[in-house]
Amino acid sequence: MSVRVGRGILNGFDWVFLTFGVLIPLCGLVVLFSAGYDPERAVDLFGLFSVEFPSAACLKQATYLLAGLVVMGVAMAIPTQALNRHAFFLYGLGIILLVAVAGFGVVVNGSRRWLSFGGINLQPAEFMKLGIILTMARVLSRRPPKNGSSYALSELLIPGLLIALPMGLIAKQPDLGTALSLGIVGVSQILFVGVRPRALLSVVATVLILAYPAWEMLHDYQQRRILVLLDPESDPRGSGYHITQSKIAVGSGELFGKGYRQGTQTQLEFLPEHTTDFVFSVLAEEWGFVGCVTLIGLFFGLFATMLRIAARARDGFSTLVAFGITAQVFAHVVINIGMVIGLLPVVGIPLPLVSYGGSSMLSIMFGLGLVQGVSIRRMRYS
Amino acid sequence: MHVAPRVWISLGLCAVALFALTLRLWHLQIIKGAFFRERSENNRLRTVYVHPPRGLILDRNGQLLVRNRPSFNVDLVIEDSPNPTETITTLAEIVGQDPAPLLEKLSRQGKRLKYEPKLILRDVSRDDVAKISAQRHRLPGIIISVVPARDYVNGELAAHLIGYIREITGEQLKNPLYSGYRMGDLIGQSGVEARYERYLQGERGSQAVIVNASGNKIGEAYEHLALSGSDVVLTIDRRLQEIADKSLEGKKGAIVAMNPKTGDILALAAAPRFSPSVFTSEMSRDTWVDLIEGKDHKLTNRVTQGVYPPGSVFKIFVAAAALAEGVTTPNEKVRCPGYLKFGSRRFHCHKHSGHGPVNMFEAIVQSCDVYFYTIGQRLGVDRIHKYAHDFFEFGEPTGVDIGDESAGLIPSTAWKAKYFRNPADKKWYPGETLPVSIGQGAITTTPLQVARGVSAMVNGGKVLKPRVIRRVVASDGRVLEEEPKDPEVIRTVDIDPSIFVAMNKAMVGVVEDPRGTGHKAALPKIYAISVGGKTGTAQVASKESGVKDDDHAWFAGYAPADDPQIVVAAILENAGHGGAMAAPLVQDIFAAYFGIPDEPPPPVVEEKKKIKRGAR
Repeated sequence: MSVRVGRGILNGFDWVFLTFGVLIPLCGLVVLFSAGYDPERAVDLFGLFSVEFPSAACLKQATYLLAGLVVMGVAMAIPTQALNRHAFFLYGLGIILLVAVAGFGVVVNGSRRWLSFGGINLQPAEFMKLGIILTMARVLSRRPPKNGSSYALSELLIPGLLIALPMGLIAKQPDLGTALSLGIVGVSQILFVGVRPRALLSVVATVLILAYPAWEMLHDYQQRRILVLLDPESDPRGSGYHITQSKIAVGSGELFGKGYRQGTQTQLEFLPEHTTDFVFSVLAEEWGFVGCVTLIGLFFGLFATMLRIAARARDGFSTLVAFGITAQVFAHVVINIGMVIGLLPVVGIPLPLVSYGGSSMLSIMFGLGLVQGVSIRRMRYS
Repeated sequence: MHVAPRVWISLGLCAVALFALTLRLWHLQIIKGAFFRERSENNRLRTVYVHPPRGLILDRNGQLLVRNRPSFNVDLVIEDSPNPTETITTLAEIVGQDPAPLLEKLSRQGKRLKYEPKLILRDVSRDDVAKISAQRHRLPGIIISVVPARDYVNGELAAHLIGYIREITGEQLKNPLYSGYRMGDLIGQSGVEARYERYLQGERGSQAVIVNASGNKIGEAYEHLALSGSDVVLTIDRRLQEIADKSLEGKKGAIVAMNPKTGDILALAAAPRFSPSVFTSEMSRDTWVDLIEGKDHKLTNRVTQGVYPPGSVFKIFVAAAALAEGVTTPNEKVRCPGYLKFGSRRFHCHKHSGHGPVNMFEAIVQSCDVYFYTIGQRLGVDRIHKYAHDFFEFGEPTGVDIGDESAGLIPSTAWKAKYFRNPADKKWYPGETLPVSIGQGAITTTPLQVARGVSAMVNGGKVLKPRVIRRVVASDGRVLEEEPKDPEVIRTVDIDPSIFVAMNKAMVGVVEDPRGTGHKAALPKIYAISVGGKTGTAQVASKESGVKDDDHAWFAGYAPADDPQIVVAAILENAGHGGAMAAPLVQDIFAAYFGIPDEPPPPVVEEKKKIKRGAR
């Protein structure tokens, strides 16, 4: 029970949480070194060393990680109360940006997702992910269930619309994966607070009843696309091919894996997108079941510490923010791993902290920083 | 809100989800692990590219000019070769080649994608294929593939117009124009092959073949069918082209034949030529150096890229300008004593004894220089420029669809003021107008511009865009591009029609008048096809030495004079007199065009009727 140190700014700083948040991307770097191994496209280590670095993806990801740590520190410094005050503003800004994308966004691969401001590209959907977490946290914390424990159906109307609006805009881009994960996070925040069983039942029933006519209204080709999404193996030349190759990669890893940089699926490039969406398959092929369980364990540790922070937060808003961010990272992890092992549809969501990519890394590190901020501020006035 | 129980429930759900993933992993990796391990070991996907045959190139009557033939390429699959360097050294030894360039070729293609065949030798002979097949056991990883290759049916015929294909260069690969192309692809690099690359190329097909560990095909993952390139039908007539090419053999020069009504190019020949087939197989360094740096400039298409002073051919344009501007009349006589005194200098006529008094008709027929010095002086250089450049488009690229073209130059006071730095050089001196009036000095044009200019003179003033493509037909028969029925008129020279009539009459005189300089272009009288034209003999000073070389011989003619169907411009470098050297070549083409046999015509008068006038 130290008195002086305990009252400093770092009182409440969760070191275990930070450790998990750094260990996982470090594991990612190790996997990426192998996945992105390509001596023909070697890069100089910023000209510092005469040795060329043979895995450009790994090297760049390392710089993203360093940048991510800085972003994390910045996020930590933002007072949680300020987030509470400006939640609606951020939400509104996000909606405006999404509408702008629909109007004059840049089309890449058939989807209109990007806004371009003189060379700087912005994906408003990424921004909205945070916007929805903060908004739901504010709405739900200011309007707790009237009976004190769980929401009635009528109380769900406003939160429901707040989720549906950005979801619809993003689904229209089309970016179904992001729209769904946005919905999952918002809904999970509502469920976290609690919903009366009867209300829950009627929502589920309504969705099921509406699903059938909606399905009938779709065009043939749209139906087929959704069926392929649900059952990729029905399209053995398209995404089914990717899933088949990914499953072969994962399965052939067996208990201990084929050995580092020995994964034939990866190194012979049967595996698609092996530095981004399918990076988990590389881990599974080269490190086997043991490697997979280790990484999943690390993620479980991360979620556990995040939830502990949520539990100890100083107010409802902070709890819901920490929980929402946890739910978001969790949803991505489960959807991504589920996808590469053939349990869930192929929706193109990267594995948080592991998949190669700067914007994913930075936005997740920012989220983790906010959670750390919640942790720091838990005791201030108590 | 009691947070703790909610967090515990969340943690529980989280654990359940992650446990479910773990179970699935257990299923895949432990229970079915051996099965997937085996599948991964047998999983070898090889992308086999299927090269489509390039489109054919045909003449205006559907005669084949370029087609495809099967050829053999030797590829290496690195994955199947324990020691690629050794394999290639052995291969080089078998076919009797130096291994170094082959190894370099392999390394250029990169070591990645080990299962993808890398091109080592292109278009090997049947003998070599037999040798390689016999030694297969010593060449692990070597495969022989059959791919279509260009077959130049007529050898070097119309080489400059057709152009050549060659492996895409590293620079071209970086060009977004060639996105989708891969190292080793053959693409059109000049002429029609280059300009119509996107039609001729077709679409590469690919086949992803699954093979087992020993390289045998066990299945197909997917296939994209190759699509043959589209055929290009040119405007040229193979018969005329053959004659044009033949008459330039062993010489330096250019011949271009054009339909003055449509702008269709009927023949386009430049010499020296190159053989397009040398580009597709392995080329020796000497051949390459000779093509690129040799002083023959074999790759230069002299019809569109060669710039020459037009010499006396230019006089008809100066004459037209003089009439249009009213600085002279057709009947005004100028006395030619054999020279014109200008200041202290004497400008000589090519006939040093002089032509005596000549009017415009006589001056053109006899190509009197003094007459043109005189009216050129009256016009001044800027009015000459106005007619030659602004009206007849000399000194401007014609826009013909076969790639890089030279512009040439028609001087003017404005040009001189702009082009030179030194203030003393910026001024146009009246003495400089004299040589320009007879197509000499700082004036250059391409043979195609001359053909186009003469066409405009005989078709009533329509300056046409020369066309080389009639249509492009896709492999399924769809017509992708078709030359419009109406000619593309770039501009109409708006001068009094009587001037065109006068020029026509004078040019017929050049060929048919007893004093005419171009009588060698005349067709036998019996066929009653009158020919018009203008000779030119352009003086040249070699750039390197400044020593006077032999003159360039020009002739530009058309027939039949009363309703011109064909215009031919010919130039022979350093060959001497245009009337003596170039006119006969043009006559040959006319003869072929009108179906007139080589031998002297039979003396029977009735035969005359049988000759189909204007058969194509």
